[in-house]
Amino acid sequence: MSRTTGAIRILPYSRVVGQNDLKLALELNYVAPRIGGVLMAGARGTAKSTIVRAFALMVHAELPVTLPINATDDRVVGGWELEALMRGEARPQPGLLEEAAGKGLLYIDEVNLLDDHLVNVILDVVSTGVLSVQREGLADAKHVSFGLVGTMNPEEGWLRPQLLDRFGLMVAAQQQDTETRHRTIKTVLAFEEEYQKEESPWLQEAEQDNTATRDLLESARSRVATMKVPDEMVQLCAQVAQRVEAVGQRGEIVATLAARALAALEGADTVEPGHLLRVLPMAFRHRRPETAHGGTFDWTTDDEARVRDLFETG
Amino acid sequence: MATEPPSGDTPDTGSAFDIGIGADTGPGSRSGAVPEPSGGPHGPHGRGGQPDDLALRLCQALVCAAVDPALSSVLLFDLEPQLLDGVARLFGRLLAGARQPGAPLVVLGATSRDEDLWTRPVLRQEADGIAFRLEPGPLIQADDRTGAPPPVVLVPDLCRLSVAGMRGAVQLLGADVAVVEQAGLRHEARPRARWLAACSSADAGRISNHLLDRFAIRLPVAGLTTLDVEQLLGALPPTWLAASARAVDDTGAPPVAVADDTVVRVARLLGPDTGVRRQLALARLARALAALEGEGTARVEHCDAAARLMGLAVADTPRAPEPAAGAAAAVPPPPRLIPRPRGDTGKHGQGEQTERRRAEAGQALLETEPAEGIGSAPGGTPTALTTPYPEDSAGVLRDFAPLRSPWQRTAGTDTRRGVVIGSRRARDLNDLAYVRTVREAALHQRVRRAEHFTVSAADLHCHVRAGAPERMLVLVLDHTCRGDWDWQDVLAPYLQWAYTVRAAVHVVEIGGAEAADELRAESFALRSVRDPRLLAALYRPLGRASPLAHGIEQAARALRRAFRQHGSGLAEAWLVVVTDGRGNIPLRASHTGRLSGPVGAEGVEDALRAAADIRAMDRTRLRVVVVDAGREPYGSLPFTLADTLGGIVIDGQGGRGPDADGRGNAGEW
Repeated sequence: MSRTTGAIRILPYSRVVGQNDLKLALELNYVAPRIGGVLMAGARGTAKSTIVRAFALMVHAELPVTLPINATDDRVVGGWELEALMRGEARPQPGLLEEAAGKGLLYIDEVNLLDDHLVNVILDVVSTGVLSVQREGLADAKHVSFGLVGTMNPEEGWLRPQLLDRFGLMVAAQQQDTETRHRTIKTVLAFEEEYQKEESPWLQEAEQDNTATRDLLESARSRVATMKVPDEMVQLCAQVAQRVEAVGQRGEIVATLAARALAALEGADTVEPGHLLRVLPMAFRHRRPETAHGGTFDWTTDDEARVRDLFETG
Repeated sequence: MATEPPSGDTPDTGSAFDIGIGADTGPGSRSGAVPEPSGGPHGPHGRGGQPDDLALRLCQALVCAAVDPALSSVLLFDLEPQLLDGVARLFGRLLAGARQPGAPLVVLGATSRDEDLWTRPVLRQEADGIAFRLEPGPLIQADDRTGAPPPVVLVPDLCRLSVAGMRGAVQLLGADVAVVEQAGLRHEARPRARWLAACSSADAGRISNHLLDRFAIRLPVAGLTTLDVEQLLGALPPTWLAASARAVDDTGAPPVAVADDTVVRVARLLGPDTGVRRQLALARLARALAALEGEGTARVEHCDAAARLMGLAVADTPRAPEPAAGAAAAVPPPPRLIPRPRGDTGKHGQGEQTERRRAEAGQALLETEPAEGIGSAPGGTPTALTTPYPEDSAGVLRDFAPLRSPWQRTAGTDTRRGVVIGSRRARDLNDLAYVRTVREAALHQRVRRAEHFTVSAADLHCHVRAGAPERMLVLVLDHTCRGDWDWQDVLAPYLQWAYTVRAAVHVVEIGGAEAADELRAESFALRSVRDPRLLAALYRPLGRASPLAHGIEQAARALRRAFRQHGSGLAEAWLVVVTDGRGNIPLRASHTGRLSGPVGAEGVEDALRAAADIRAMDRTRLRVVVVDAGREPYGSLPFTLADTLGGIVIDGQGGRGPDADGRGNAGEW
């Protein structure tokens, strides 16, 4: 199925007001796909889904492969094309996981509402890298790899630690101040107004800004693999992981990748402590023991205090 | 209404649907949204047979929902159930441009399932077998059919909506795009359906805020007693009908700008703590009203009219110009329909400026007079809550994770729930596995030599679904009462029962030394007693605080969800509370996370109040046991707690479960 936008209207990425952390996490994940995805948590109405879709439209010119919370197994792992079967043709229908592997990203809206058995399916595939289908006369196994992007409202429950850990970065949508909120409302209303016009300089300008952002991302993506990460940065990362009592080793790996992606995005020649400091909350907030067991995901001043001395220059 | 009024003039079409731009909201004036109020003993249709204010505001709200797809969901609080059909028909007619028949109606309720909402199998008997087709289901049927009226999705009681229905609403309401991946069907489109839901304001606190927040238009309609669809449609200006009928081809209203000060006004009316979605909804409503007026810009006055439409107080509207000639004379209306801003002394502004102050979201638009008794019986009209956001002040216990699919399923023979784990030959047409069915039929097509692809009865297969727990054990563990006592012996029978019947387990922990917040109980759900987290929970080091009330509240929440929520249900549940009854943390402190001042007996009293809620569930299949830790000087507290819960007491130090000494109902072991 082609994912054309048709009547679907998504606010252009360049016009999303605020939520800089959310945007940065998506951009870093795009520059360095090995980061392994982004989880966005935040209160309702903080533009989480809009940002994901707008970003996908900007960089891929199509909506992301989306796993809805009520998807059936055949659509997740694959099955048969029903219409073709009715015509007497046996035509397998690839599932969303296979499609996501082709695009590199699977988006799960309201990921914390996903049924347990689907979580198990995704965990199996993400952890083994193999999509094995043994159902309804299908017998197939494929190597698949994709990054997960999820959005959730913590009011509606938390995620299992195993799935939480599968998201490379986690970001919290911020509550907006009055001025930002005012600009948000104005922008959304302006977009809806402009969208109805035959010609809209407003939309054209937004598209130009999108193009500029996309070029910047592509440039960083092409440079990132060649950037060296100094040993002291890797050591610093390990020290941070120890200080925040990070569960497992994925945190420091992701933090290193994200710091390198940020350096590439900013056009730096090498990864510096400042880059690492900027991405720490994203890489470690969901890997602290208290968060893994349903505690707060806020990166507090206490968390900052635990690692501050590591980044203070003598 | 459709003609452009001279600048600064109040438009006047002589219609009951004058939305009152620039109208003084002070008492005694006639707000446009409040035409000739009737009320009184003559019912809702007052002088000249005009519909009453509430009916008009409701009609306006529905027109706005038809005109602007971003306002596609309407939530009515305290609507009389007998009016629901009329409101749905009115909405359907508006979406079809008043033509008959109106837009198609889809009703969602407590039994709605995913399989019913997203896909629709079409089975037809033909000469050579069964013709079969799978189509998009009722919620998305019109998404690709521009030119047909979008359906009205009617939810008679949002509080009783099934989990599948609520999850569907979360996916579709206000969404830029709806993605459906069900049983071979792929669907990705902008949702076109309009939603109309009703809910008691008293129940609003039980519903997920995540869901409530997605309803763009909220309207308290307590007091609406009749609704004449034809009369309302007849009173509607033709331009409004034409505008609402644009929903058929999704052309919407012409572009309308929203002035900067209008956005400021929106924020001011709703207050600083409101969410972006509410602000957007009010701004869009203002924009829709401006569009219906034929204006190119939504101004502050439109914002005020939108706020009044939803029942929000507008306390500081600038004084209006003199009413245009032809406007209705200010006939003093009955007191109960007078908009009375807070702080208003009752002296009406005959040329006097009302004091400027920020209105509070949720402030009542209408003052409710004391109820008048009818005859000799007590009562009379109940005091109606007139706020579009009753959940903000709701004191009831919100359900735990209400949008998550429950593990527990309906007990008995209903096997149409649970995760699909396979398929088998069907014995009836329930829960058919379409792909499996068609694949089976495909094998036999050549043999059948039929002209078309045919499905015979022998091909039909239905899903086999995983068995789900129908029993539950809720453990409330008060660590502060344990000390050197090993409570595993006394808990063993309950754990054995849970293991034997494959019960789900919900653990509530109180007073552990490692609690994230010692003022709060912590709870988690397990699929079975085999989960290692249960063993860990049995041996936590003890802390100081005992938020027993919060623990009992969490247990009540888990039980309510398991027993009552949205069609899921348990065959049997045990609630086992291990405590000495000493609750030294009041519920308020648990909720706020702050402990201030001496506690006294407040914590214990709160625990008993929470326990009374569990007893009030009146579940015959809920068995309650309080395990008495036998601590002095709290000797009688566990008995008081057990009495309040409606359960029995087991001696924790010497007892070995309910069958140890013959006390109480031993249950089924």
